[in-house]
Amino acid sequence: MRVISWLIVVGFMSVSSIALSHQRGLDPVQNLSLTVTSPLTGAVRDLSEPINDYLLGIADRGGLKRENQELRAELERLQVLLAKQQNAQQRVTELEDALGVKQNRPEDRLLAADVIATDLSALKRAIAIDRGRGDGLDEGMVVLSRNGSLIGTVSRAYQDYAWIQLITDPESAVNAQVHLNAAPSSPTPAPSPAASPQPSPSNTPPPETVLRLIAAGDLRDGVTLALLPSDARIEPGNLVLTSGHGGNYPRGILIGTVTSAEERPQSPFKSAKVEPASDLSNLDTVLILLSFQPARLSGP
Amino acid sequence: MKPSIVLVVGTFLAVLQASAVPYIQVLGVAPDLILIFAASWAVVRGYDEGFWVIPILGFTRDFISSDPVGTSALALAPIVLLAAVVRLRAMDSEFVPTAIVVAAGTLLYGIISIAILRATGQDTPVTDGALVVLPAIIVNAVFTPIVYFPVHWLGSRTTMRILGPGRISMPL
Repeated sequence: MRVISWLIVVGFMSVSSIALSHQRGLDPVQNLSLTVTSPLTGAVRDLSEPINDYLLGIADRGGLKRENQELRAELERLQVLLAKQQNAQQRVTELEDALGVKQNRPEDRLLAADVIATDLSALKRAIAIDRGRGDGLDEGMVVLSRNGSLIGTVSRAYQDYAWIQLITDPESAVNAQVHLNAAPSSPTPAPSPAASPQPSPSNTPPPETVLRLIAAGDLRDGVTLALLPSDARIEPGNLVLTSGHGGNYPRGILIGTVTSAEERPQSPFKSAKVEPASDLSNLDTVLILLSFQPARLSGP
Repeated sequence: MKPSIVLVVGTFLAVLQASAVPYIQVLGVAPDLILIFAASWAVVRGYDEGFWVIPILGFTRDFISSDPVGTSALALAPIVLLAAVVRLRAMDSEFVPTAIVVAAGTLLYGIISIAILRATGQDTPVTDGALVVLPAIIVNAVFTPIVYFPVHWLGSRTTMRILGPGRISMPL
């Protein structure tokens, strides 16, 4: 009987707190508790990170060596690509200047923040940072890694601290695009002799097509692309970028790379797993994009 | 144990949970030290101590989390009920009942958390939640000894101060 009475009391207290918290009535208390605990959390994080790296290094030395070799090869390939891109970028800028084209993101204004904690809930993927409303943060703002890839959005902002909902959180959904090399989905029928003459195929590579979709967070798989057309030629290594649709994210921010595509027989759709460009389990510093105001579209 | 000490221990565990514990991923989930501590304390020291220890731990956890405050206090509450049930056990052991309470408590914690998150407008898919909660049952049960033995030692010392020296119970 005592246990039942106690459960009723605790249930009432908890439900009242949940309702009050949902109405943001407890934000000052949560801000205060993060103020008190953040130095300790930061110190323990700083201490445990190198220990974890060291232990992982011992456990997976062979894998690290192999990965290092692969990364060196990748670096060389990317340096060559970068040299070509710089040249192309210069030409694009010159042409944009000549045509007076409005640039997408002329000057990004970024605010750096330190990660102070990881969310305790196993049902969420979120981190706490040491910047809040007092620093100009607002809910919905886009958060990037130090290298500029997408990490998530500000989900809850207190006066001095904020929670960032990562792109791997099950509630996260980002309008994305994948650049694919187009290829015919079905064999082209042979022209009949009576048909009008067709233009002969050229030797140029197939044109690049852009597939627009939703990159959704997933507690187990990180980020997934669902409802892909079954004939979409998505392959491991394809880059996934923000599409800018919906107005909640700027266009062209790197989300990650496709690692595998899953095709089910007789299903009209397939899905793909995406590895985020940034290691979301090991973030120290993040950048909040202050200059981009999300549209925060609501409704259907 | 005084409420202030529970508050300190709860805060310390929450800090560990938010900083170092996420690096320990087994089956894709990290052990929940606060839940294991709450279950160990409720079994070792009796569910009547759990009456006040568990709400303090729950609210402490919520203040350092992005969940609505009260979520953990409510989700941890069934541990008291489970601890009361295992009191009726036939075996003279505290460790096995603790592990059972941890496992069952993890399942109920997950179910209640998902329900609260969904009720407060957060779209946590039940299937995704299940894929996290089910491994967490095993992981938390496996990590129980790490928290249980210090709690048992601490609990025995507290009892000895009250009753005088002498063996109270076997840890296993």
